[in-house]
Formats: sequence, C-alpha cells, structure tokens
Amino acid sequence: MTVIDTILSVWTVHQITLRTIQHLYMFSIALILSILIGVTLAILVYSNPKLANIWFNVLNVIEMIPELALFIFLLPILGLGEKPTIAACVLYSILPIMRNAYTGLAHVSNEYIEIARAIGLTKNEILLKIRLPMALPLISSGIRVAVVYIMGIVTLGGLIAAGGLGVPLQAGIYRYDIPAIIVAALWVGTLGVFFDFIAWIIENRLARRFNPW
Amino acid sequence: MTKIYKESKAIDDLSFEICKGELFVILGSSGSGKTTTLRLINRLIDPDEGAVYLNGNDTKTMDPVKLRRKIGYVIQQIGLFPHMTVKENIGLIPHLEKWKEEDISNKIDELLTLVALPPQLFRSRYPNQLSGGQQQRVGLARALVMDPPLLLMDEPFGALDPLLRMQLQNEFLSIKRKLDKTIVFVTHDIEESFILADRIGVMHGGKMLQIGTPSELLFEPANEIVSKIIGAENKFKAIKFLQAKDVMILIDKNCLIESDISCKEAIDKMISGKIDSCIIKKSNSDIAHISLIDLLNEKDKERSVMDLGNKLSVFAPSDTLSSIILLLKPSKESMAAIMDHDKVLGIVRLNSVLMNLI
Repeated sequence: MTVIDTILSVWTVHQITLRTIQHLYMFSIALILSILIGVTLAILVYSNPKLANIWFNVLNVIEMIPELALFIFLLPILGLGEKPTIAACVLYSILPIMRNAYTGLAHVSNEYIEIARAIGLTKNEILLKIRLPMALPLISSGIRVAVVYIMGIVTLGGLIAAGGLGVPLQAGIYRYDIPAIIVAALWVGTLGVFFDFIAWIIENRLARRFNPW
Repeated sequence: MTKIYKESKAIDDLSFEICKGELFVILGSSGSGKTTTLRLINRLIDPDEGAVYLNGNDTKTMDPVKLRRKIGYVIQQIGLFPHMTVKENIGLIPHLEKWKEEDISNKIDELLTLVALPPQLFRSRYPNQLSGGQQQRVGLARALVMDPPLLLMDEPFGALDPLLRMQLQNEFLSIKRKLDKTIVFVTHDIEESFILADRIGVMHGGKMLQIGTPSELLFEPANEIVSKIIGAENKFKAIKFLQAKDVMILIDKNCLIESDISCKEAIDKMISGKIDSCIIKKSNSDIAHISLIDLLNEKDKERSVMDLGNKLSVFAPSDTLSSIILLLKPSKESMAAIMDHDKVLGIVRLNSVLMNLI
C-alpha cells in the first residue's frame, strides 16, 4: 500500500496530471511543426541533391549543439518558457524527419517514376500520388526518431520554466526527493515508450502496406 | 529522326510509318534502339533531329501529358504501383481527369472482365497479392482505361515463364481483335513477333533494317544482319509460329468457280481465263481443288465439277503451319484451303512451303 500511497502523494503534490497535460501539449505542437517543416523541406529539395546537402549540413550543425546551449541561444530571441522549448524540439527533429523524407522521395525506384510519366502524370501528380505515398514508411520511421528526441527535450524544458514533466523532476533533484524523481522519471519514460510504440505500429502498418513486392 | 546519347547515336536517322489498326512489332536485340523508339513516340524523350507525327500532327506541338494520356503504355512486369490496389492503379488517370466515381468503377469492372480477372475478386487486391500473369493483365487494363487509339508495349510478356507467356499472347491476340487499336509492340523474341505481328520492323544499331510481314522477312531478308536476327538459316523452326496467312498463295477472283457447273463449262471458263487450276466452293466447309488437265482427261464432260475435284481441308488464316501439317499428314494431302469466315483467301501448298523452309 505504501508504494501506491507514495505515488499518489507525489502525484498530487507535484500536480503531475497538470504537468502531463503541459508536457503533451508542447510535445504535440513540436511534433506537428517538425513533421510539417521537415516534410516540406524534403519536398522542396528532393529533386536537387546539392541543395539537400546544404540543408543537411546546416541541420547537422544544429544537431551538434547541446540542448542546454541551444536553449541559451534561443533565450534572447524567444525568452523563457514554452516557446524556446518547442523551438528547440523542432530544430532537433527536423533533421531526422527531413532526411528520411528526402531519402524516401528521391529514391523511389526509377521504374515507377518512368511508368507514371508514361501514363501521363505531371511532376506534381507523381510527387503526390507516387513519391509521397511510397516514402511514407521511411517518413514515419523518421518521425519515430523525432518522437524520442522531442520527449527528451520537452522534459529538459522544465529548466527554463516551460512547465511539463521536467518540473517535478527538477524539483525532486533540487530537494533530493527520491520518490518524486522516481515517479516523474518512470512516468516520462512510460510516456516515451508508449508514443514510440504507437509510432512503431503506424510505421509497421505503412511498411507492410506500401512495401514494394 | 535521330537521338544522340553521349555522342553515340541511339537512334540513327530512323524513319518509318505505322498504319492505323495494325500491330507493328519492333524486333531487335538489346541496344538496338527499340525501346528508345517507343519512348520517342510518347515523348518520354524528344528526338535531337526529326519529329514524330501522329495522324499528321507533329507531337512536339502537343502537351506531353495530354499526349501520354491518349497513348496506352505497358512495360515489363514492374509497372503497377505497389501502394495502390488494382482498382486504384487502373483508375489513377480517370481520377486525375475527374471522371465520375460511377463511370470509373464501371470502366474498371469492364476492363477487368476483358482481361479475364473477375472484378469482385481482384478489384481490391494489392499488386503483391497477384501472380506475374495477373499483374500483367492489370497492366494492360490500366493502359486501356482512357480508351487510347494507340498502345505502346515494351516486352510486356518478357518476364513471364514460357507457358504463361504463350497463354497471355493468345489472350492478348483475342483482346486485340475486340479492340481495334494501333499497337506498337517491342520485343527481342522472334517467335513472339511472328505470332503477334501484322508487320515486323527489324532494328539494329538504331536503324530500321527492314519492315515486312513475317514471311517476307523470313524468305526475303534484306541483308545478312536481318537474316541473322530472324534466324533465317533455321527457317524450318518457323513452322511452329508461321501462320497460314504468312505462307498461303493468294487466290485470284477468277480462280474461284461455282460448284454447280458442269465439267465442260468449267473447261471453257478456265481456258478463256488462262488458268490451269482453280478452287471450287460449295459451302464454307466444302472446298475442292481441280486442275485443267484433270478436267480434260474426264470422259463424261457433263459431270458436275464438284464430284471431280479433290476435297481440301479448310484452315483459318491464323492457324500455324505446324498444326496444318499435323492435320494433313494422316490423309497425305498436300494442299489446304485458307478461309476467313466465308471468304476463300488462298491455298497452302505444303510441298512448296516446306521447300522454302529448308
């Protein structure tokens, strides 16, 4: 009983329900933004490998900046709180999504593109009807990587007053409140595994359905 | 027209004409430029020199997308989009052309029936749930969906096993008869070209070496290379796929006489017509052959010619030479009549045909 009591008390003291809502709010916005931006960028550059390479280099540089340093870079522009946290999430997640989307769009087997042209599809129709659907399995595995990134960075957002599940974790660390640390950490972990699992199911479905013979 | 790739001529000063409604086979080994020629027709590539004319109009003046939607295209095996069902694959262009849902659905069912795939079983399948032959049929259905007057086919049966290939070739021939379309068919398979073609164009090194019917190519190859490609030194192999229409001797109209005249009348007719043998037709299955000498030797000049003539077996123009030989062998007949419905087209003399083949 004591375990459950402890969990319940940590839950109420640290307002974990509220923190979870804040957490998932930032998570969803960041994920949607990075998918939109990542896929859009991939669509813009898929027919131009040189341009794509420039983008990948830029994003790689961003990827190499530690999260905390990135927060600090973003502070003067976006201040404290949710905005810089979401921005950091997006900046980190564009790369995996864009890289996978680019690979998926650019490397659709030439035979399909050729027959699509031959039966009279325009370049845009080929993109929408052939390239994008056939790239979906790869795009979704890029999104899966992004899910894990975003989960971690949103938690770190607790440091810069963004709210979310980073807050009880920080509080626990400062006060050496071990139950709070354990409950919050396990909860964040569970959420992470849960979303990764959902993403995995989606990826698998797509892969099975869209897999070329 | 000429098409240059990396300074070598893939298509070298090529010029030929394809007639409306014919099945024109481009025969050639790989690298002969046959696929390139096909791609020039629907503007997947444009020639460096020259132009392709469709009903007298330069295709360069047409919108390539619109042009391609009016030309059916079938390629070897892979060609169905794996992420779309049979229905979506066939209905892709009609959807883009904004047809009514109902019209698309009806057209799909009609085409699936045409290619011998029951619609209710196959409509919702994905390509990886189909056998190679079934995929090829769906490919053909997709090529036909816009009712194109012209169909381009690039070795469509090339990836299938021989047995299935033969079956699909036959099905394709019967579908072709129903459709009345102009078809340009690319293959490296001589046998296939002989079975399917109305005319064959032999390509080599980007040039069209010779255009002709199967028997013209076989018996009168224009040069060494054609004779090598056609396999003219092994002509006897051709009995498997040469058809009656390729080897028959055409019958002149005056060589046909009615069955109810007497021997005497027939002699008069033949002498005045300066012919020494003729065909007598009583009914569609009752055909006989008679020569002037036989008639002159007959003592009873009042007998009906039909009684005197040698009865001939009747074959269709598309029957193969080997099947004719096989059927004639037991009765030791050496001549057969070739009829298309109720019209006598010609006769096949096995002796002379076989002499030509060796």
